[in-house]
Amino acid sequence: MTEAPAEHHRIRALRRDLDLAAERVSGELTRARAAVRLDGALAASMPLLAAVPGLFVLAQLAAWAIDAPALGLSSILVAAFAIALPLAWAWREAAKVKRRGVPRAGALGAVDAHLGLEGRLLAADEFLGLDERGRFQEAAIEDAARRAHEAVRKGIDVAPARADLGAAASRWSAAGAALLVLASLVAGLERGPGASGGDQTVAAAAGSGGAAETAPREDAERDPEPDEPVPALPAAEQDARRDGEEAAESQDSPEITGDAKESAGKTGAGRSSGAMSSSAASESKSAPSSQGKSSDPSKPPKKKPSAAKKPEDSGAEPEPQERQEDEQSGSTAGKGSSKGSNKNPTASDWKSRDQVTETDDQEIEDDEETDDDEEEQENRGGVQPSLRDRRPPVSRDLQIGFGNRPNPDANGRGGPSEQKKSRGVASLVLGVPIPDRIKGRPGPGPTKITQERIEPEAEDAAAVTAGARAPRSGELERPGALRLDPSLRAMVRDYFLALRRTPPRQ
Amino acid sequence: MSEHDSKSGAAEARAEAERFREAYEAIRGEVAKMMVGQHDVIDGVLTALFAGGHVLLEGVPGLGKTMLVSSLGKAVDLSFSRIQFTPDMMPADVRGTSVLVETEGGGHEIEFEEGPIVANLVLADEINRATPKTQSALLEAMQERQVTVGKRTIELDEPFCVMATQNPVEQEGTYPLPEAQLDRFLFKLVVGYPQESEYKEILRRTTAAMEVELSSVSDGQTINAMRRTVRSVPVPEHAEDYAIRLVMATQPGSEYAPGIVNQFVSLGSSPRGAQALLLGAKVQALLAGRFAVGTEDIAAVARPVLRHRVLLGFEGLSEGITTDQVVAEILEKLPRPSEATV
Repeated sequence: MTEAPAEHHRIRALRRDLDLAAERVSGELTRARAAVRLDGALAASMPLLAAVPGLFVLAQLAAWAIDAPALGLSSILVAAFAIALPLAWAWREAAKVKRRGVPRAGALGAVDAHLGLEGRLLAADEFLGLDERGRFQEAAIEDAARRAHEAVRKGIDVAPARADLGAAASRWSAAGAALLVLASLVAGLERGPGASGGDQTVAAAAGSGGAAETAPREDAERDPEPDEPVPALPAAEQDARRDGEEAAESQDSPEITGDAKESAGKTGAGRSSGAMSSSAASESKSAPSSQGKSSDPSKPPKKKPSAAKKPEDSGAEPEPQERQEDEQSGSTAGKGSSKGSNKNPTASDWKSRDQVTETDDQEIEDDEETDDDEEEQENRGGVQPSLRDRRPPVSRDLQIGFGNRPNPDANGRGGPSEQKKSRGVASLVLGVPIPDRIKGRPGPGPTKITQERIEPEAEDAAAVTAGARAPRSGELERPGALRLDPSLRAMVRDYFLALRRTPPRQ
Repeated sequence: MSEHDSKSGAAEARAEAERFREAYEAIRGEVAKMMVGQHDVIDGVLTALFAGGHVLLEGVPGLGKTMLVSSLGKAVDLSFSRIQFTPDMMPADVRGTSVLVETEGGGHEIEFEEGPIVANLVLADEINRATPKTQSALLEAMQERQVTVGKRTIELDEPFCVMATQNPVEQEGTYPLPEAQLDRFLFKLVVGYPQESEYKEILRRTTAAMEVELSSVSDGQTINAMRRTVRSVPVPEHAEDYAIRLVMATQPGSEYAPGIVNQFVSLGSSPRGAQALLLGAKVQALLAGRFAVGTEDIAAVARPVLRHRVLLGFEGLSEGITTDQVVAEILEKLPRPSEATV
């Protein structure tokens, strides 16, 4: 590229102006940045004014506590160190910013931005470095040359807003001074009694620690059975359990051995109330006939309940306790009605009527089933309430009968029968039999096809005009386009806001 | 380059820039005879025309979108065609098709009939009423400046500019433009309601007996020359960096993406967005009397360039975030390169 002297001079003048502007602004920006950094570092390191004396106080206290000689540092030395440390750190930070400086492009960009030149100087500076320049680049350089001189003359004001550190400095200085006074007071304390006092303190602490150690042990000894869920039980059941335990203790040795505790846990003494109630409910389901018999005082029971049949399987001690608990917990609705206890006279009345219609065969079958189930449960290791669902419905005749006379057609099952077995309010209505099912075949039966031999005939059909067509129903939207109703949109918005409020799980 | 060459080159550039501004102002003044207000929209349409791009105008009915484009067609002596898009329109209705014509001797022959797309200035009115199949008939014309029908390829004359309008309110029976189609529009301009003071002028011009006559103040050759001028405007490195970072900032997960992009945007702008930013910024630089693109020029066209290239995710839609908000936050958060601050 051959440049004429005038052009060369013009370009040199522009370069000189750009260099001058960049250098000046770069220096100013660097100084401003360093000042800002200095302020920031000073503000951040202000707590050191109190932290250093604070460490000094701690060191003095430690020396006093271990009966070591006091630190030989004077308060003035500590104060000087506390002041020098923040200053040194802030100066180092500012020096780092100064070393980094501001690049030329950044400085020219700042000039452009401050003087509203919209990047003219920066663009011209870049175009000046090109070997080949187009006409628009030459025009851009010319355009910038006129403004560069003015930019140098004007300069830019980059003085930053300095932070006011006076209040913070005085606050932290006061704290540091107070700590220094405290340190000197600590250093002046007598050491002899302090040391013995320290020993006493240690001894007292050891004593209290020993007491604290023994206290839980006593609590543990006082605690009869940590695994026993006593608080979860109702008061009546707790009383019953306590009675049962006392009875067991009076029969056996006064101290419960580990084996005895284990056996008690297995046999249900340690069961939760839920487990107890479920087992009691299962018992009520499995032995309906015996309940009925027991409620009828005239007839003695032919068969005993299965639980009583195998006393050696379930253990001797927990059995009466369990029965006691079951009787106590029989105040709940499910148990009281099904067991036919005298606490629910209405239920027992219906039960007594039900048992009249039952046959002995049914009783035997039920008992056998109950026995099998119990054996199965024992083999599985305990009562499993979910298995009760496999059983047939409980034998109960809900037929209201006709007056006082029982219905002879009642089969004792709750399943489908010819007439509906009403319950609730409907059962109080005097015997109106309601059909329970509709008799008939579920399928249409065999199909009959009839063929007729007739000649096809033409029919008059009017042409469907386009106007007569009904409008197309349904939406003609692109699937996937999200268009929500305002209510749905609000719901989704609330969901995401709630999601954002919830902290993410770690 | 000698002193004379450099001086004459700079003078030539200044003259070109001056001619550009004159042509721009002439067309703008002619269109403004018909359009009241909507200065931003008129500037956007003219910027896109001079930058060589296509424009998508979005606004509710009755704001003069169609009138703006038809006025532009009258102000510039260009072949103008209007396509009213409907759901039953087929691609052949846009591109053209072969028809059977009767010859002089009584015979018949198949002749190709060009579609309305073969024009300089095409007004695609209510473009979102056509099916995507028909919308895609515009793709080749908009990007390649040619139309292929069967084995026939028709080169479209320059300047070729598609100005499409769509109504954002009536969504029943419309087909939103696919992303590939949207990306081919240089600008998406949102036409808003006029100011109170502009209503009187609108009423006076449209309800009185007088009729506004528009005359051609420019032609296709001038537009082509202006387009070459626009492309001659240099882009300094710092401005180029800014355009690239601006586009990258719309892409979730990128180095420059602010929080709003990472949270609400599912798809950012493509490199076509950076091209559109620079082309639009060149026009802005010339209009501002500068000979190189600055970061201010890029920021000035960022909204119309990027608003249709940013695809919001479900969370963004549910939060009611708009793409204009996303672009505004990018412009606010993204620092301009080579602009040192304290």
